[in-house]
Amino acid sequence: MTQKFPITYPVLATGTRYRWDKVRNQHQLVFPEGMMVLNEPGRAIVKLCDGRSTDDLIAALKETYPGSEPSDDVFEFLDQLAERGLIHDGSVDD
Amino acid sequence: MMDPLTTRPLALLAEVTYRCPLQCPYCSNPLELGRYRKELDTSTWVRVFREAAELGVVQLHLSGGEPLVRRDIMELVQEASRAGLYTNMSTGATVVDDRKLEQLREAGLDHLQVSLLDTEPESNDRLAGAASFDRKRQAVLGAKRLGFPVTLNVVLHRQNLDRIAEVIAIAQEWKVNRLELAHTQYTGWAFRNRAALMPTRKQLERAHEVVERARAAGTGGVDVLHVLPDYYFDQYPKACLQGWGMVSMSVAPDGFVLPCQTAREIPGLEFPNVSEYSLEQIWTGAPVFKRFRGTDWMPEPCRSCDKKEVDFGGCRCQAFLMTGDVNATDPVCQLSPQHHLVDEALKEAEQDAPPLHFRVMSS
Repeated sequence: MTQKFPITYPVLATGTRYRWDKVRNQHQLVFPEGMMVLNEPGRAIVKLCDGRSTDDLIAALKETYPGSEPSDDVFEFLDQLAERGLIHDGSVDD
Repeated sequence: MMDPLTTRPLALLAEVTYRCPLQCPYCSNPLELGRYRKELDTSTWVRVFREAAELGVVQLHLSGGEPLVRRDIMELVQEASRAGLYTNMSTGATVVDDRKLEQLREAGLDHLQVSLLDTEPESNDRLAGAASFDRKRQAVLGAKRLGFPVTLNVVLHRQNLDRIAEVIAIAQEWKVNRLELAHTQYTGWAFRNRAALMPTRKQLERAHEVVERARAAGTGGVDVLHVLPDYYFDQYPKACLQGWGMVSMSVAPDGFVLPCQTAREIPGLEFPNVSEYSLEQIWTGAPVFKRFRGTDWMPEPCRSCDKKEVDFGGCRCQAFLMTGDVNATDPVCQLSPQHHLVDEALKEAEQDAPPLHFRVMSS
């Protein structure tokens, strides 16, 4: 195990959803009592949190951003999301 | 200086009715409830939700009173959701069953907040003025079954604070997503009942320890938010509303738009109504929204304070209720010339509590 990230099949938690804010021209992740502004890669990652494995997620990101080598920063971002309860492991009942 | 045209509100509180089957003695609704019986009709609320979304509001909080007593509540939720708003509802959960919960889910409600007054059913029911513990429990369990994210809201005060460990335990047992432990804010009915609600310092210290210990041990998937009482813990006041007219606005049941839902208690302020103006006109142009926006209105010691853009002078309602002067520095601030009012309230809290006045609609 090289990754610190404990979730292998990330999926957005109930009540957490992606939203395009047309007033502010922003990608947002909205959830109970809060909101996180996403950059382009953040949006791409969040959209891939659909229960697929993190390996598949990384592979899909490479397709979206050819020539990039996403790894550590992706896990860091996923860690952040998990810490705030915004994603959980789709293979585990909660 | 902020520009209200670029700084747009993120949150709208829609108090769709003041009617409520409960009588919580710390209700944030106005004391003279009987004066405000008029309620906006369905189509006006729907227009307000659409205007809110256009203006940049992200989070809508449907509240009251009890929002579920409105017959058109499903339509309101549906239209709010359709307008693109993240839709939260705060409910006492006494007039909801599984079928209604399902309808709320279908209508697009994103998040349900259920109030609980105490973990002891008798105490909960006594504080609420109605048998409600079992219904609340059923509603939480039912909402979780349907997949709602659920927040349990518990307002803390001297009559339930000693059971804070039980509150955390019940939140885990009911598997709620979030637990909001919010100490009573002394406005509205809570200000009237302050002497009966303020905890002793000893109670607070113990409760604080219990929460910290529970957090350290892990709260089993429950996100615990602890809002501390500002009379006791802060040298500076809370950044009420994150600044007046900066990120949020409230619409009262009768359509008056307030920078804060308790601002109605401040005499001399004139509030615009959604029947006459759009939310955008109100946000950018209404004098009451400009009144305490930014820092120009501030008296000393705020004016020359380096924290003035941190706490924005504190809570206007609290300043008025305690000092009689809406322009005063929030007396919670240690630099306030009237800080002794807070010390006096704290002293009072160490005495025996007087009886509670329960919320009633008549006036």
